[in-house]
Amino acid sequence: MLSKDLTGKILSWNRAATQVFGYEPNEIIGQSILRLIPPDSHHAEHELLRKLRTAEAIDPYEANWLRKDGRDIPVLVTVYPVTDKTGQVTGASKLVCDLTEQKEADETRFRLAAIVDSADDAIISKNLNSIIKSWNEGARRMFEYTADEIVGKSILLLIPEELHYEEDEILRKLRAGERVDHYETRRRKKSGEIFDVSVTISPVKDESGRVIGASKIARDISDRKRIERMLMQSEKLAATGRMAATIAHEINNPLESVMNLVFLARQHSASSGKAHQYLLTAEEELERVSHIARQTLGYYKDTGTPREIYLHDVIENVLTVYNSRLTSTGIAVDLQFNDLQKLVASKGEMLQVFSNVVANAIDAMHQGGSLKISTRQLIGASEDGIQTVIRDNGTGIKQEHLERIFEPFFTTKGDVGTGIGLWVAKQLVEKRGGQISVASSTEQGNSGTSITIFIPYTIPVSHLGAAHV
Amino acid sequence: MFEMPSGSIYAADKIFRNQIEHRLSEADSRQPQQKLPKVLVVDDERRIADTLAEILEMSGFQVATAYDGWEALEAVARFHPDYLLSDVLMPRMNGVELAIAIQKMFPCARILLFSGQAGISEILLEGQKQGFEFELMAKPVHPLKLIERLKGE
Repeated sequence: MLSKDLTGKILSWNRAATQVFGYEPNEIIGQSILRLIPPDSHHAEHELLRKLRTAEAIDPYEANWLRKDGRDIPVLVTVYPVTDKTGQVTGASKLVCDLTEQKEADETRFRLAAIVDSADDAIISKNLNSIIKSWNEGARRMFEYTADEIVGKSILLLIPEELHYEEDEILRKLRAGERVDHYETRRRKKSGEIFDVSVTISPVKDESGRVIGASKIARDISDRKRIERMLMQSEKLAATGRMAATIAHEINNPLESVMNLVFLARQHSASSGKAHQYLLTAEEELERVSHIARQTLGYYKDTGTPREIYLHDVIENVLTVYNSRLTSTGIAVDLQFNDLQKLVASKGEMLQVFSNVVANAIDAMHQGGSLKISTRQLIGASEDGIQTVIRDNGTGIKQEHLERIFEPFFTTKGDVGTGIGLWVAKQLVEKRGGQISVASSTEQGNSGTSITIFIPYTIPVSHLGAAHV
Repeated sequence: MFEMPSGSIYAADKIFRNQIEHRLSEADSRQPQQKLPKVLVVDDERRIADTLAEILEMSGFQVATAYDGWEALEAVARFHPDYLLSDVLMPRMNGVELAIAIQKMFPCARILLFSGQAGISEILLEGQKQGFEFELMAKPVHPLKLIERLKGE
């Protein structure tokens, strides 16, 4: 606090002023106030004195003033005119408030805000009623709502309905002052898309330590989750493969012996006798076991080494095998081959894939129908390859069966089906680095199934080794 | 009565029977034998080797049997095979090693490997590296299918 006359001469100087500016009263009283003001602001001080003389109102203002040591500091100046008994302005009292700390605090705040906004993570704050209070740029990118749209609304908008109970649990923890650390769950975007996130939620407290809300940092982990699922899938495949290899030897070899023995026994029995008939039946049953053992016990993995083949050659091969069944059932075949490039694959495996799919199509059209097979080059996001679509207009697959058709031993064909055809097809396609998917309709007059198989041109590195996807 | 397509077994069986009858009548009339390949059957599962030998003999093949690769190599000193039918995973010497050795000794001999097991791709790859690639069948193989394979081609 200081006072000055109308010429700008300092008349009084208190202890606080000494602390802020470093001058003792005896050093500064009687001096011009301009000593405290940087030269480039002197004109502002002259203007101020003019206003003072003409009794114009002076609003508090911010400025930089000089300390005794030459450093300038930010200050807030409030000017109170001093009048004599007649009401004539004789000078002014100046309340000069040091803003150094406040400026630093502001700067810190701006810097934090910039950090918050540049973070990839969504950083959101809410109060204890679950109302969103702040929303950073990362939150906008992740959840697709702008701050304007969402601030003031309930955080439940971001939580899928079936997970709304989570919010109660989170609030309970927050009230108790606990953090929620790296909790993995699912959240919903504006578009309705559900995605995997990892959230960390910390209570926000006021000065007295009372919890007034929460800050929430959410990270999109859908990519990581996808990779985890793929890894798990390939782990499962590898484990299945190892098990199959282990028991294959112990099953296929005895089967071979039994088959030979039964065959010999039959050759040595009278062909008109009952024993002969029994042995023939036994052989048929053995053939049935053998079929499933060959397919499930991983033997197919070794049928032929990968080489360059045209997929349409494979498909034509398959159709030749099924030609008589196609003709006798009255199924018209429509082929559109546009796979102009060979790809590297095991022909045996590809034959197995396509013959399983074609066999299913035929089974679905026992009243006849149309089988359309098309191949085309597909430029994929990560790799290029050939997409084959096999479409029938048969009975279709019921919705509740659709998601199970690639499971082992799942069949809709009763006793006739083994439930391994599509499962094996999927294993083989995935092992080759490709994908197989199904779409089907059972709607009357519009029924049918289409199976889409994508095989990339290049073979995954691990193809010859363990069964990794 | 059974869902499995049994037609093929019946049909092939008929051919097989005709052939045995034909052979029996040939033997009766002491006519020179029909020239079928000489087959060397190798499997460390003795029952498989023995039953296959018997089946193939019934079908008119000349057969020698060995229970592993070394025995097989001893056998070829006396028996020059037109066809080697061998298991892949065997102790002491695997089927691919044996096949390569036989192929070098008898460049005209045909070779058919059969295996009941996955996980032999490495053995096959080893052969490929040396420039040898062999046909492979999955065990169990129906005897008629095997005979058809050995006769055909």
